Amino acid sequence: MKKLFAVLLAMMMLLALTPLSLAEENVLRYGVDADAAGGFDPHTISAVASMRMIGQMYNTLVDVDENLNVIPELAVSWEQPDDTTYIFHLAKGVKFHSGRTMTAQDVKYSFERILDPATGALGNSSSYAGDIDTVEALDDETVKITLKNINAPFLANLSSSYCSIVDRDVVEKNGGSLLLADGGTGPYTLGEWVPDNSITVKAFPDYFDEAGKATFDAIEFYVLTDASARLAALRTGAVDLIVADTAMLDLVENDDSIQTISYQSRNYTGLFLNVNRAPFDNPLVRQAINLALNREEIIDFAFNGKALVSGFVPASLGHWAVDVTENEYYTQNLEKARQLMAEAGYANGFETEIIVGLLDSIRDTGLVVEQQLGEIGIKVNVQDVERGQYLDAWNGHNFDIMVCQNGAGSDPSRAVAFFFKTGSSANIQDYSNARVDELCELAVATTDTAKREEYYKEAINIILNDCIVAIVASPQEYFLASTALQGFAPSASNANNFSGVTLTR
Amino acid sequence: MKRKDRPVAGRALPGNESILRQLWRDPMGRAGMIGVGLVILMALLAPWIARFDVAKMNSKAKLAAPGAEFWFGTDHFGRDVFSRIVYGARVSLEVGIVAVGIAAGFGYLLGMIAGFFEGRTETLIMMVMDVIFAFPSILLALFIVSALGTSILNTMIAIGIVNIPVFTRTVRASVKTVKSTDYIANARSIGLKKMKILFRHVTPNVLAPFTVQATLALSGAILTEASMSFLGLGIQPPNPSWGSMLSDARKYMERAPWLVLFPALFIILTILSFNILGDSLRDVLDPKLKL
Amino acid sequence: MRDYIIRRLLTLIPILIGVSIAIFVVMQLIPGDVVSGILGIEETPELRAMWEAKLGLDKPLIQQYFSWIGRAVTGDFGESFRTGAPVFPEIMNRFAISAELAILACIIAWIIALPLGILSSLKRNSFIDRIVRVVALLGVSVPNFASATLLILFFSKAFHYYTPVKYVGLFENFGTNMEIMILPAFILGSVMAGSVMRMTRSSMLEVLRQDYIKAVRAKGSPERVTIFRHAFRNSSIPIVTLIGMQIGALMGGTVVIEQIFSIPGLGQFTLTGISQRDFPVVQGCVLFIAFLYVMVNLLVDILYTFIDPRISYS
Repeated sequence: MKKLFAVLLAMMMLLALTPLSLAEENVLRYGVDADAAGGFDPHTISAVASMRMIGQMYNTLVDVDENLNVIPELAVSWEQPDDTTYIFHLAKGVKFHSGRTMTAQDVKYSFERILDPATGALGNSSSYAGDIDTVEALDDETVKITLKNINAPFLANLSSSYCSIVDRDVVEKNGGSLLLADGGTGPYTLGEWVPDNSITVKAFPDYFDEAGKATFDAIEFYVLTDASARLAALRTGAVDLIVADTAMLDLVENDDSIQTISYQSRNYTGLFLNVNRAPFDNPLVRQAINLALNREEIIDFAFNGKALVSGFVPASLGHWAVDVTENEYYTQNLEKARQLMAEAGYANGFETEIIVGLLDSIRDTGLVVEQQLGEIGIKVNVQDVERGQYLDAWNGHNFDIMVCQNGAGSDPSRAVAFFFKTGSSANIQDYSNARVDELCELAVATTDTAKREEYYKEAINIILNDCIVAIVASPQEYFLASTALQGFAPSASNANNFSGVTLTR
Repeated sequence: MKRKDRPVAGRALPGNESILRQLWRDPMGRAGMIGVGLVILMALLAPWIARFDVAKMNSKAKLAAPGAEFWFGTDHFGRDVFSRIVYGARVSLEVGIVAVGIAAGFGYLLGMIAGFFEGRTETLIMMVMDVIFAFPSILLALFIVSALGTSILNTMIAIGIVNIPVFTRTVRASVKTVKSTDYIANARSIGLKKMKILFRHVTPNVLAPFTVQATLALSGAILTEASMSFLGLGIQPPNPSWGSMLSDARKYMERAPWLVLFPALFIILTILSFNILGDSLRDVLDPKLKL
Repeated sequence: MRDYIIRRLLTLIPILIGVSIAIFVVMQLIPGDVVSGILGIEETPELRAMWEAKLGLDKPLIQQYFSWIGRAVTGDFGESFRTGAPVFPEIMNRFAISAELAILACIIAWIIALPLGILSSLKRNSFIDRIVRVVALLGVSVPNFASATLLILFFSKAFHYYTPVKYVGLFENFGTNMEIMILPAFILGSVMAGSVMRMTRSSMLEVLRQDYIKAVRAKGSPERVTIFRHAFRNSSIPIVTLIGMQIGALMGGTVVIEQIFSIPGLGQFTLTGISQRDFPVVQGCVLFIAFLYVMVNLLVDILYTFIDPRISYS
């Protein structure tokens, strides 16, 4: 016993003597809500948590700014000899993290890797690079891409990290996988990953773009899944920046050392109805459900008021968006909803199941909806399911009502066609409308933006009036940061944009 | 001391009245009984005690502090915490009782079989028990719920399965003790059937450790349910369990401490009561039990 | 003794085979699979087929199992479906961390529980006894995620303190490592303390009633000697058993605390494996935990012979 005490005492003394670990010179410490899932291969990783690091490590040919304009990244300029041919002029002196200079051959290789079925790349679909026919390196700094067919949003879609340019040597050295390797050209290189604890990316001194160069020696991402732990870490200066939960915003309102940073996301949360199952195959029931919702109340409860009433093309998509507040089904009208229910033969309501999961805001939305639909006699059983079951319901199209939070992307080809076109993989409702399909095809086959807008708006209105979904809100995303952090301006296009960000300690 | 090693029917199964009276005489036992009694009463009378619908949201009373209208305050949906606590007693107790029921039932059966048949059957059963036991209970419960799907019944089944080995071991040990005693041999010579003998003689002997184990397992079940809620695999909303209330409240701990305080308080009091009761019960039934 | 150990080790084989089959079956039954986790919203039948082929999931189930077990017997637990990293070294890394946490928690539990348990047994049914029992139970009564969150909030508000966010190993920086571990270990230890206290008390009570203790007392030996040399030593077998069981249970059972404090332990590895349906990870972790549990129990049994020379295994 005595020995034990002696050892313990020694431990305590050591503890007291260790100086508080001082923050390293110029490191951004960032408290995130989830660990990187699976690793950092830009072509095969879909997890948002991994994108935070991938975004620092890799570049794409082009980028999209806040206003959805395509801007240069690895390609300084491009031209389109015809509707299916793109010629990109690459930036000079772009270095991979291995030190090798990137050439047009690497761009060619990257797209070949994406299109190779063996890679299982997520970009191998017409939403991204799937429509590519050939990639040619005209010279070291010029790449010609030809498409199989016209794909209007192709250029914008190249800004996705699924279309990142990667280092062939690194891929081959790692057995074809970049999950735990770094074959990028980005401003930061992959440092250490301590799963469930932290990920470090380090400055890459030879980054090609002066303006986008790393401003920190390193960025350390800390996995702090518990929201209150994240806030405590920020308050005590253990981290400089955190992903915030809307529930904590008013706690720091009067804290002079903490600033709140936010942006309007391009995500939306809402109800997806299984249109092939009774009673949701009845348009009257679907209309009644839409009319029964009080979207402002849902936003108040589930998003702490920090979201906009939205359709499936959120306002942050600029000119593509339709003003849903004018839609007749967006204003709560219980009387009319009950009347529609009676007309549909459900005067006494019915019982149904609603699947929620993954996020607190999704769960809370489900709970409020349960109350609101109760008002028109629909008895809702909320099924809060685990991640695997949620994805199963999604992929198996097996649900009555499912609350989802989807990303609308940067072009309606994603927001409309991907989710609502017949046979599309994300059309979990198996919705099928000939006119919508036709409009989606027309809109992809022309590069005339005005025409495309016209087509999509017609499709959007058809879907809205069919009431096959009951979309509620588009959330705002929040960060909390020490006031020492300057220049951090996240946007829906790039939520983790650290270029030009500094810490003044 | 020696005398107690021999199972004597009269001592191992004293009249119910005398157990209760003995418990009541011990101040700790009395406290435990009162505590457990109050929780059970609260659960039974929930519809009469609760002041509001547990799922009813109120946008005008989000995160209201405890006061005249909402005794224990409200949560971020404006739901009355007091009513949810009262109904939560039902859910938490139900989870505890059913889970322990499953564990005790299967444990009793398997323990009997293992102890009675010995040999290969015993080895097999005890090996399966070892396998279950070898797995951290929270992970095993998570595993089972992942496989069966999240629902209150599956939560109870999962927690039940996790607790089977403890009961199996207790029963098997008792069966073995009883089998080795003289009076089984005597009974056998009288010509009673073996199985019948066992059930008749083992049951009273097992009762003491069993009851104690059950009270302890019950509080363990309530805690496991809470941890499962924390990991996102608890019971289904909007049904309140104390564990899920506590888990949901973490985000609001600073802004609305009552959301944490009250469920925590009731969990603590309930578990404390069950444990104290279990302790005293052991003292009364069989002081040398080591559980 | 040697034969006994060998015999015990041999029982490991059927247990591990049983566990591995059980895990394999359960992983098939669980809704969702690793591919849907990888592809998420981008899943298409073509992509699914590619990934199933890539991970060998398109092969018959029996073949999948045997190819896994075939490698496992050679000590190769395969690679994670998600990251492609070999599972075994990662388990070892994580085990070291979880073991440290579990041992610290046990030490803390002992420090709290042993003196209290002894005190409580000596003053049986007194006011002190009751207070001690209730206090010891308090630790067991609070779900540890709640006490953890509360402590984090308390330390950040009252002392402007948060445990170091970056994990460092025990041998990298002892001081920082202790600073990271002490709070989580304290929370786990306070939970364990309740049952250790209870066990200590009842074992002590039993021993104190024995005739030989009375004899020792009658001989006039000092009370301290009586209690520690005679009574405590003889009551330590069940305590050792319990501690053994608890260390076993803490392997992976610390998952909640690991998650809140971002400690990269075995529990989180297993949990992530389960939620991502990463079969090699789950299988490896579970087998390892089962193996460990059997070993800890064996160790406990061997320890008995040191505590009580009368115990021997043949």
